[in-house]
Amino acid sequence: MKRFKQFTQWMKGHIHLYIIGFALLIASQYLTTLTPLFVQHIVDAVFADKPSALPGFIAGLLEGDTLSTTLLLVALVSVGFTLIRLVFVFLQRTVIAIFSENVAYVLRNTLYDRLQNLSFSYHTQAETGDLIQRATTDVDTYRRFIGEQLIDVLRLFFLMSFAIVQMVRMDIPLTLISLIMTPIIFTSATIYFIKVRHVFERVEKAEGKMTNTVQENVTGSRVVKAFQNELHEIEKFDETSMTFRDENMKLSQLMALFWSSTDFLIFLQYTLTASFGIYFTVSGTLDAGQFIAFLSLLGMIVWPLRQLGRLIGDFGKTTVALERIDEIMANPSEHEGDSDFKPDIQGHIRFNHVGFQFDDDDKPLLKNIDFEVKPGETLAVIGRTGSGKSTLMNLMVRLLECTEGSITIDGHDIKRINKKHLRDKVGIILQEPFLYSKSVYENIGIMKRNANPELIENAATIASVHDDIVGFEAGYKTVVGERGVTLSGGQKQRLAIARMLLENKPVLVFDDSLSAVDTETDIQIRRALMHHWKETTVFIITHRITTAMEADKIIVLEDGIIKAVGTHGSLLEQGGLYADLYRQQNNLADDLPKEG
Amino acid sequence: MEHFEEETYQDMSLNTGTWRRIFSFMRPLKRYIYLIIALATLLAIADAAYPLINRYGIDYIIEERDLSRLPLFIGIYVFYMFFVAILVYAFIYVAEKLQHELAYIIRKKAFKNLQELPFSYYDRTPVGWIMARMTSDSRQLSDILSWGLVDITWGGMMMLILIGVMLYLNVQLTLITLGVLPVLIYLSWFFRKRILKAYRDIRKQNSKITGAFNEGISGAKTTKTLVLEETNFQDFDIKTANMRRHSIRAAVFASLYFPSILFVASIATALIFYFGGIDVSNEVITIGLLYVFVSYVGQFFDPIMQLANSLAQFQQAQASAERVVSLIDAEPDIKDTPEVIEKYGTMEEPIKANWESITGAIRFENVSFKYKKGEQVLEDFNLSVKAGESVALVGHTGAGKSTIVNLICRFYEPTGGRILIDGKDYRERSVHWLHSHLGYVLQSPELFSGSIRENIRYGNLSATDEMIEEAARLVGAHDFIIGFKDGYDTEVSEGGSRLSVGQKQLISFARALIANPSILILDEATSSVDTETEQRIQRAIETVMEGRTSFVIAHRLSTIVKADKILVLEHGRILESGTHAELLEKGEHYYKLYTNQFKEPSLN
Repeated sequence: MKRFKQFTQWMKGHIHLYIIGFALLIASQYLTTLTPLFVQHIVDAVFADKPSALPGFIAGLLEGDTLSTTLLLVALVSVGFTLIRLVFVFLQRTVIAIFSENVAYVLRNTLYDRLQNLSFSYHTQAETGDLIQRATTDVDTYRRFIGEQLIDVLRLFFLMSFAIVQMVRMDIPLTLISLIMTPIIFTSATIYFIKVRHVFERVEKAEGKMTNTVQENVTGSRVVKAFQNELHEIEKFDETSMTFRDENMKLSQLMALFWSSTDFLIFLQYTLTASFGIYFTVSGTLDAGQFIAFLSLLGMIVWPLRQLGRLIGDFGKTTVALERIDEIMANPSEHEGDSDFKPDIQGHIRFNHVGFQFDDDDKPLLKNIDFEVKPGETLAVIGRTGSGKSTLMNLMVRLLECTEGSITIDGHDIKRINKKHLRDKVGIILQEPFLYSKSVYENIGIMKRNANPELIENAATIASVHDDIVGFEAGYKTVVGERGVTLSGGQKQRLAIARMLLENKPVLVFDDSLSAVDTETDIQIRRALMHHWKETTVFIITHRITTAMEADKIIVLEDGIIKAVGTHGSLLEQGGLYADLYRQQNNLADDLPKEG
Repeated sequence: MEHFEEETYQDMSLNTGTWRRIFSFMRPLKRYIYLIIALATLLAIADAAYPLINRYGIDYIIEERDLSRLPLFIGIYVFYMFFVAILVYAFIYVAEKLQHELAYIIRKKAFKNLQELPFSYYDRTPVGWIMARMTSDSRQLSDILSWGLVDITWGGMMMLILIGVMLYLNVQLTLITLGVLPVLIYLSWFFRKRILKAYRDIRKQNSKITGAFNEGISGAKTTKTLVLEETNFQDFDIKTANMRRHSIRAAVFASLYFPSILFVASIATALIFYFGGIDVSNEVITIGLLYVFVSYVGQFFDPIMQLANSLAQFQQAQASAERVVSLIDAEPDIKDTPEVIEKYGTMEEPIKANWESITGAIRFENVSFKYKKGEQVLEDFNLSVKAGESVALVGHTGAGKSTIVNLICRFYEPTGGRILIDGKDYRERSVHWLHSHLGYVLQSPELFSGSIRENIRYGNLSATDEMIEEAARLVGAHDFIIGFKDGYDTEVSEGGSRLSVGQKQLISFARALIANPSILILDEATSSVDTETEQRIQRAIETVMEGRTSFVIAHRLSTIVKADKILVLEHGRILESGTHAELLEKGEHYYKLYTNQFKEPSLN
């Protein structure tokens, strides 16, 4: 039952198509098994005055006055009959295709939607390659199963069943004889397709090894050449390539054995049916036309049998694929049950004894963080990598939820504010921003589609990236991201700033977002921004003293706790880490000549 | 990168040159080809003969009520059963053999050429492009060539034999059957082409969807912080809706194809019913013959569909063939001259007796260089380095540091001027001679899968285990290596992920050391490692550089400070050169660079 639910859960809203498809399938298979009976009709009813095996409503149409009109009727009706049958076949395939493509469409969209809305912590742990595999290959496995493989099983099943029915209607003893080999053929096919799986795996493994050798050789080509190991590489590759070939041949041998031995079994069945059929016909219990029809109907039983074995193997694969899809869907969307509270935000932020710890970590990343920032103020957080400064910002937009204390904006606990609303109001510029596979122009305007070009260029100019863009061959139309031009870290960061500039945000966070930009440009960009956003509350996360020193308030973070708070002046006076850093960074230049 | 586009969609005319080249690869496999042709022909004969066996039963046993012929009938059936089984085994085996041997030959040729191609080829060719040629293209091509051969031979022979047998049996009924042949051929070709194109469209859509998933997952944090979930979903929906549309269209084509063929065949069958029936009643033909003709009409469209399928696939495989040939026949743009090859030998057959020893003095004489389709990187560049000197190259990205290193390694050759090694233009000696005296330590240490021992030995394949340990000891890697459970036999695993970056660097130093090169190239890593590893690496660098001419793309202050010569580069020119002390004293470019770049190392 659970299996059934797992299997049908994605079909909601389309299941009627599936049922229509099944009905058409059954009808078309029934009609297919009538085809051989036309020959039977000619041979037995027309020429020998024996009973026709065709159903009465068709046989009734075939009675002409003369032999030639009868034959003409048979010819015309058989064409008309085939046409009807083929229309059924066509409709059935089309309906099933529409059904399965609709299911796949819904499934893909659902998965994409869910993946986007899964929590941030899920994404930090997830393996991209594996998720993509599930969303593409596994979905396709399922689609093929419901749209092709299951249909094939049913088609073959009904074809065989109706063929047996037609046989029984003509002669029961010969029917039984005609089914003697079927269990053996079916069993050997099933066993083969189960056994062959591990040979397949070995082929895949051998291929993986070979691919890996090429990959390493190509990516490490400099090493190969510089150490002059080309011949060694050729030998190494040849070995894996040979193994791959040989494993393939083992599979081929099995395949050859399977097809030839099942052919043997099938023809053995033909031998039995034909021999007894002839014997029965000569003895008078069977008519000649029936004998011919038996041979045709037998083909509808024995050939499909070996396909069925493969389909059973496919069912296993589909169950695995569905489980992998369900594993993704088992994780809730982070917006599920989120509040609808969307207050206006001025930017007055308070951290009340905030602490954070991952479930599976033994020590907290942040402890007792307590500070306040008033609207329009600038706060700098300075600390080493791993001090917890990025976690602080992730908490503020609820990418992570604090495990202790609370964060308020304008007096509202952020846990009560709608997540999307919160993120819309608190703009974060990440250290490693992601650019989408679109043009530079679209990337900057991504939050405000149809923004006018002036606005975009203006934003790019403030973020000091306009000159870079104009320098690209295609200018603002240059496609970036996965399938486009590779940009430097600094260019990406500046583009991320430009895209943030299109909207006014009450709170803005620079999460080490100018780390790949040189100090001068950094200051220049930030001055322009401050000018642009006088009212905005600004957070600057950094490890650069020069970046932090102009802030209204500076927090020094070390190992998840606030070590010191103050202004540039007061922190210098206090001494400690901040002052040490300042001296180190500032005095280095003066010391240089002496060093040499 | 236009020519690296994976899928080209224009309808190509037959490229005979490409196919001739591919067929030349098949020459050593000739005997399999003849066998396939023979076996496929036999199979076609067997298929055509089958209805005739039953006809014998119908006409001579049933109609004449003569059961004495039944044993013979059974005997023929049993013989047929064995014959077909053996035949099927043989032709599957041989066709598969041909396929896998051919794929093996193609891969071997391609890989060998890859080893001969200079570094510049790798520089401008995406790894994925090469991988696809080596895997899917070579597989697809050999599959189509071997099974295509089976299908075409079988299909062609089957049709010829059927027509021959039918004509022999009854001319009038044959002509009726053949009447629908042109329609069948046209329909097959019409649908095949469209179906293949529809499937190509689907694949294209599919890769777009995969790309979108990739973007959605890797960009999740950005998407969340910018609240772009809705926007992205709308974009995605367009893609999946397109996919659905294309898929349904392909399915409709495919579901029309088979029924329309069957319909045409049913008209032929109906004609046989009518004219054949009249012939039977006039006793011109027997019931058995009527049965044979009805069967033959059924058997007739199978070969036609197979032929249409194979031809369409051949047409599609041409793109694969062209790409594979382009890889196998890619000419290296850095090649030794015939005179040099005569003296020094080739990659496969080096004449090591003629290889001079080297001291390692390097001179750039008026060297200029530009990358293909790129801007001038070096112009009139002059530099003289004595044997055993260490040179540190500093400057911003794009200043020409990597280019100088690539030129020294002869990964590229100067477009003007010349480079002398031990006083002789290096083009007068072989590339392999130079590389045999070269050591290279990369910024991102590229290790190969295999054990640590194998990776160190990569620098010198004839090195003994003792030499390997000695090298590891000298670079300070021995201690951590024996700390592993499997010691030197520890698997480096994919991309060396089990080792830390620092450890990998140390192993790559040991690898360079064991090669005992006269010229050492070192592209220093910028990645940060902990202080202890940092010190180890520093010591390792000093060990490795000792007594060799070395060029360092330097990022570490201490490496630069200790270099015999520092070159400050900008836009392919030497702005300043001298020792650390001299350059600081001067207080210009180096001073500025130094203060800017190394000003804030204290925080991370």
